Amino acid sequence: MTQRLRETARRLLQEGKVQVVIGYGPSKPGAAAPPVLITRPEDADKLEWNGRCFANLAVYLTRKEVKALGKAAVVVKGCDEKALVVLEKESQIDRAALSVIGMVCEGVGTPRAAKCASCQVRVPRFADEVIGEAAQPAAAAPGPNGLDRLMAKSPAERWAFWKTEFARCVKCYACRQVCPLCYCERCIADKNRPVVIDTSATPKGNFAWHITRAFHLAARCIGCGECTRACPAGIPLGLLNQALAQATEEDFGYRPGMDPQAEPVFGSWSPADKEDFIR
Amino acid sequence: MSAAIPVAALRELIAGWIGQGKLVAAPVQVGDRLLYQALASAQDAVFDARRRPANSIKEFFFPRHEPIFRYRIEGKEIALAEVAPQEREQIVIASKPCDAAALPILDHVFNWDFEDSFYTARRARTTVVSLACQAHDDACFCTSLGSGPEDESGSDAMLHDLGDGQFEVRAITEKGGALFPDRAGKSGDTPGPSCRMAGSPPNEQFDPARVARYLAANFESPPWKDLTLACLGCGVCAYTCPTCHCFDIVDEGNAAGGARVKNWDSCQFPLFTLHASGHNPRAVQPQRQRQRLFHKFLIYPRKFGTVLCTGCGNCERNCPVGLGVLKVLQAIDDEAKRLDEKEPLQA
Amino acid sequence: MKKNLYKPDLMEVLDVQRQTPDVKSVRLRFRDGDRARDFSFRVGQFGQFSVFGSGEATFNICSSSTWKDYIEFCFRRTGRVTETLWQIEKGDTLGFRGPYGNGYPMEEWEGRNLIFIGGGIAMPPIRCAVWYALENRAKYGDITIVYGARTVADLTYADELDEWSKHERVRVIRCVDPGGETPDWKGEIGLIPAVLERAQVPAENAIALVIGPPIMIKFTLPVLDRMGLPEEDIYTSLENRMKCGVGKCGRCNAGPVYVCKDGPVFTMKQLRSIPNDF
Repeated sequence: MTQRLRETARRLLQEGKVQVVIGYGPSKPGAAAPPVLITRPEDADKLEWNGRCFANLAVYLTRKEVKALGKAAVVVKGCDEKALVVLEKESQIDRAALSVIGMVCEGVGTPRAAKCASCQVRVPRFADEVIGEAAQPAAAAPGPNGLDRLMAKSPAERWAFWKTEFARCVKCYACRQVCPLCYCERCIADKNRPVVIDTSATPKGNFAWHITRAFHLAARCIGCGECTRACPAGIPLGLLNQALAQATEEDFGYRPGMDPQAEPVFGSWSPADKEDFIR
Repeated sequence: MSAAIPVAALRELIAGWIGQGKLVAAPVQVGDRLLYQALASAQDAVFDARRRPANSIKEFFFPRHEPIFRYRIEGKEIALAEVAPQEREQIVIASKPCDAAALPILDHVFNWDFEDSFYTARRARTTVVSLACQAHDDACFCTSLGSGPEDESGSDAMLHDLGDGQFEVRAITEKGGALFPDRAGKSGDTPGPSCRMAGSPPNEQFDPARVARYLAANFESPPWKDLTLACLGCGVCAYTCPTCHCFDIVDEGNAAGGARVKNWDSCQFPLFTLHASGHNPRAVQPQRQRQRLFHKFLIYPRKFGTVLCTGCGNCERNCPVGLGVLKVLQAIDDEAKRLDEKEPLQA
Repeated sequence: MKKNLYKPDLMEVLDVQRQTPDVKSVRLRFRDGDRARDFSFRVGQFGQFSVFGSGEATFNICSSSTWKDYIEFCFRRTGRVTETLWQIEKGDTLGFRGPYGNGYPMEEWEGRNLIFIGGGIAMPPIRCAVWYALENRAKYGDITIVYGARTVADLTYADELDEWSKHERVRVIRCVDPGGETPDWKGEIGLIPAVLERAQVPAENAIALVIGPPIMIKFTLPVLDRMGLPEEDIYTSLENRMKCGVGKCGRCNAGPVYVCKDGPVFTMKQLRSIPNDF
């Protein structure tokens, strides 16, 4: 697969179809594959594909330094690709100008990441080129997962849990910077007229940040898990997003990033909405 | 020659210090992360000479958030209240040598012309007991900066793992020796039974003097631009780095009053250098990455005679995209070597 | 308890003047009499001025160091802190930390002719030097002030410019951008570099202090060069985003130079070795 990936990238650059290929680079076993931005065909051999390709490369598509390079090709796994669906719906990317190289993926990480056990999108669905053999989607994950275990606790226990977890937050904003859907040019956390979220790494500042971010991602987060992986303090941030994703599916029958035709929850309204206070 | 101390005895000592009301910090296993934390119980301390915590001990000298004074608003009048610098004694135990070595480096900036009394109070009231390293990984590069697995700089005492849960302790300062009465050997004593590092320390990866010369001559033509495009502009490298010390000062409160606070900040954040006029001298990430390298490997050494780095590798290990400084330093060093061969740079 | 370098002095607002539609000047005195007596500074230094609850901002101390009862600063309404500063009145309390920075080398400039060139909000940092020189008139030679703004309304300290021109061997040249003049405007019309060139100011034994936006400085330097001023005799005061003001927070450096400690006053010769990082 790596060979085909390199050939594809080389061809796209040589033919001038794209000016940059965003993919994964070389890494030693145990280390995550670092993102690389290839602008010259001869550098295509730097591209790799393996079980350490954790990053969601869609995050680069909204960064101005990358947009300045020109048309892009991006290497995505099925989970990452869901971000492209949302970004396009929110008019942040021009799908026609983007080349999507989809990699068939049976899971990343050793041991395999939890999200992979229930993956339904092992074969990217909307790529311009799919590399890899067809693979079956996973069977639905049996048994309780992290969210089930958390929600089984009482509200008081959950409050205590998050107090302990957030006490380790240093406000590095890695969670925000790795997220492909956190693309606001001036994040609410950086607003100072007025200050909406204290920048301090205090209980107040940390709760305000994480809860606000989770709500701003509600019905948008595609569950790639990069926020959790990036957190240097090991806070299980993804649980917040999963809880809201569950509520979104239950209340609106909506799963972000799955159906490009589905209207986003916060961007649409249906007369059949079950809430009647708005009628 | 000092007697071997079993780990149980170390835990007893720690329990004693905690009982005396001191803050004791050590590496603690939190989920799948090893993190320096203030200990609730002596049993939580992890003495592992083969692992490196994902954070640094600077939190105990230069905390992530610190009120610097409080104010009350009473009509047109303001009443200020001092925040007393720390009185409580602190002990950091089983620190990595690369964390302890950061402290004398940070002392320069926090005492430069004006004394940061919050930092100096903590420094005065803290005793650092390091644990010499017996393993390293590919991200470590302390040896490239003249440091190493048993560097005593910044430590008041150093533990050496003898195996089988036994440790030897060497006193480096009086403060360090005082923690282990009658049990500490002196730094420089003949070493006890084998406690050397398994394998060899990291190879030297670059020449900091050559890198500094290159940086001094090349502000606008970096060979690392492609590498730094991957940087996402978060604060993980700065916040897990033992020597990064950039900070922000903000007022937090309401109409009745509040506190002016000092918080960690990072030169990688897009808003770090944003002027009120809208002008941003470092508007794109490669410029911000350049600042990090310059500050650490040219500016700080020029001002204070030491690089602002101990080679701990936290930046690379924690970076969500695996960047850190080492890769970029190597790219610079390679380019500098190449140019040196063509045409040696002036010192 | 050791001195807390981050704790400001409490200042009483004595007076607030509106200089232009978006610039105000503020006169402050120390609430603590001892501090007021002990306080001194060099013109060209700056302070961290604060509105409690809003934050600190960096401003040059724009009053002369020879005036002992108060200090002054000038600000443009631009961001969070200056927005709250805009609302202050006589009797309010502000914070002040300082003086910081290197200041102008007024002793070195003794015996020289002084040429001050400024644009827009750059007048306040020039004003302190002008008043200092006038208060020590015998020590300095001819004084020329070239000051311009986009429009007449944007000229700060307009009344003081008038007053200065009445002093001995002081020449004041005011200008506005083409289109910025009013029907009764008696000053020059044109951009500062052109106006400076026309003014034919003698450059013998002179130093120049040039403050303004980078583009103005860029086009003024060749004029000064043609006038015969060497770069070590041309000075400027830099701006950069600051927080601590004392070289600790790591924010204001431009390449190897800390604007708050090595500056903010630099010669053009020094500026040549400072990279484009401010």
